[in-house]
Amino acid sequence: MSAVSNVKGFFGNSMVKYVIKRLIYMLPVLIGISILTFITLHAAGDPLNIIRLGRPTVDQATLDAVAAYYGLDQPIPIQYLTWLSNILRGDFGNSLFGGIPVNLLIGNWFWETVKLMTISIVLAFIISIPIGVYSARKPYSKTDYAITSFSLFGVSMPTFWLGLILIIVFSFTLGWFPSEGSTGVIKVWWGHYVFDKIAHLVLPVAVLVYVSLAQNIRLIRANMLEVLRSDYILAARASGLSERKITYSYALRNAIAPTITFLGIALGAIIAGAPMTEYVFNWPGLGRTYVNATTRLDFPVVMGIVMIITVMALLANLIVDLIYVYLDPRVRIG
Amino acid sequence: MTSKKEQKNKNAKRRGASQWAVAWRRFKRNRAAVVGLAIVLVVVFLAVFGRFFAPYPSRPDPGAFEPFYKGDVRVPPNSEYWFGTSGLGTDILSEVIHGAKYSLYVGVIVTVITIGIAILVGSTAGYFGGWVDNVLMRFTEVFLVFPALLFILVFVRIFTLTAQDPFLTIPLLNIRIPMGLTIVIFVLAIFSWAGNARMVRGEFLRLREREFVEAEKALGASQSRIIFRHILPNILSSIIVVASLTIAYAILIEAAVSFLGFGDPNTTTWGQILQENFADMRIVWWAAIFPGLAILFTVFGFNLLGDGLSDALNPRLRD
Repeated sequence: MSAVSNVKGFFGNSMVKYVIKRLIYMLPVLIGISILTFITLHAAGDPLNIIRLGRPTVDQATLDAVAAYYGLDQPIPIQYLTWLSNILRGDFGNSLFGGIPVNLLIGNWFWETVKLMTISIVLAFIISIPIGVYSARKPYSKTDYAITSFSLFGVSMPTFWLGLILIIVFSFTLGWFPSEGSTGVIKVWWGHYVFDKIAHLVLPVAVLVYVSLAQNIRLIRANMLEVLRSDYILAARASGLSERKITYSYALRNAIAPTITFLGIALGAIIAGAPMTEYVFNWPGLGRTYVNATTRLDFPVVMGIVMIITVMALLANLIVDLIYVYLDPRVRIG
Repeated sequence: MTSKKEQKNKNAKRRGASQWAVAWRRFKRNRAAVVGLAIVLVVVFLAVFGRFFAPYPSRPDPGAFEPFYKGDVRVPPNSEYWFGTSGLGTDILSEVIHGAKYSLYVGVIVTVITIGIAILVGSTAGYFGGWVDNVLMRFTEVFLVFPALLFILVFVRIFTLTAQDPFLTIPLLNIRIPMGLTIVIFVLAIFSWAGNARMVRGEFLRLREREFVEAEKALGASQSRIIFRHILPNILSSIIVVASLTIAYAILIEAAVSFLGFGDPNTTTWGQILQENFADMRIVWWAAIFPGLAILFTVFGFNLLGDGLSDALNPRLRD
């Protein structure tokens, strides 16, 4: 099948139907998560009481604003609907600290998180393919054992601890990279402000890549092993094709498709793991803001960020699924 | 006498080795799995007997701060303090040893609860199928898709705020159960069962069409008998594998929660030690390295064990 007809088919009728079906499918999940998010407000009794426990010096005006925003004098189902209609209109309320609108906070930090995540995900995926393929082509060899135990090591490593070690080695001891933030405020690294931004990215991206790399390699290796054992590869070998062509243009194409579905889950994990990396590197993103807001029990900020991150994870999943359908036309028909 | 013994031997031979004996033989041949088991046994040993040979007692016992009273704050690793001392003036080696019992407590209890929920949800969905399956699986999906860590953090924060006593003392055994850590455990468990439930459901779907279930149905066995006496024992091996991996996962997540500052301040879990020394890490690098190594070592052990068990118990699944 030529690439052109593939693209045509991709945007054809069945595809639109598929996307709509997937979007409808997302709806109950979104509702479920919004209910769960709402429950956080009421999980331990009166929310105003909890806010007071978390911050004894809170003033009455703030409490009144919270009561008004959530409609706390109404019955709980009504409160939920009020809140839902608020966030659907894009009003996430105001922070309990300083009264800044949550939209503004999220808008400020959203792109920093997206930048960090996208770069890491793409890099991890690109790097893991050749390693996983190599590992699968020579299964149970010394290199394969080295690669598999390395990836098991990666799965067992706490993300934040790897960050700590990298900071100690490359920032505190060697002084090559900055240890925190996304831009140099006191000192511009590497001479130019563009290089400065890159210098700040290196360590957090390295952590995220290493952690997701391990999972990707394990998946690609397992799928490649399965594909390489199938009959059509045997047929391709019998017809005398070069090993390189067999591996990269026959086997890999089929091994990547199932890997990509798992990538969706891994993606969700990376996005949800944002608080850890951002906290370690003091990265000015949603994750760090979330940790601070949760410590202070700043409910509007907490609930807003949870909803935004959930939607991000769901959309990422959807995009991954669309890529999967593009690569494997069988799914579209089925 | 001898003939009787021979007879016995013959019987044993004819019966062949049990499923578990075969699995154990396969397990022993797998070097990585044996290493995993050894690591796990070391951690269990530290958790049970650590208090007898740790140089200093665990917090909140004031003895834990003895290095502080001697003026030994932020001492790098040396012959007296093998892993150095922290900024609070505690011995890192002792705290790492005491951390083993907390980590195992977290890992085991979280796993028991999640497996329990997973069996309940997974077996109901898988066995009955139809709309029951549909509803339960949508429900499970919610727990699978959403960012669990975010919810874990906020729920831990809320519930630790409302907790009254730091410890619950069991009178006769004289065991102190840290309440903050227990809250973390329950929140972790509530948000971690979904993947396991999916696995149990898959196994039930696979097994419920098999002949032995048909036969049992034809004999008029009750549904609970089929589920608990016939299908469940058949998926026991998968559950054991998953349990080992869940312990590893729980230890990792608890470390993350503690590191982010949401842990129980009264218990020195490994994540908690990292949190306490995060601010002056530029000086006390040893306080960052050793607890982290302990986490890595333990989680690696449980992961190796899980992989090894999976190879030994389900040889067909091996890639």
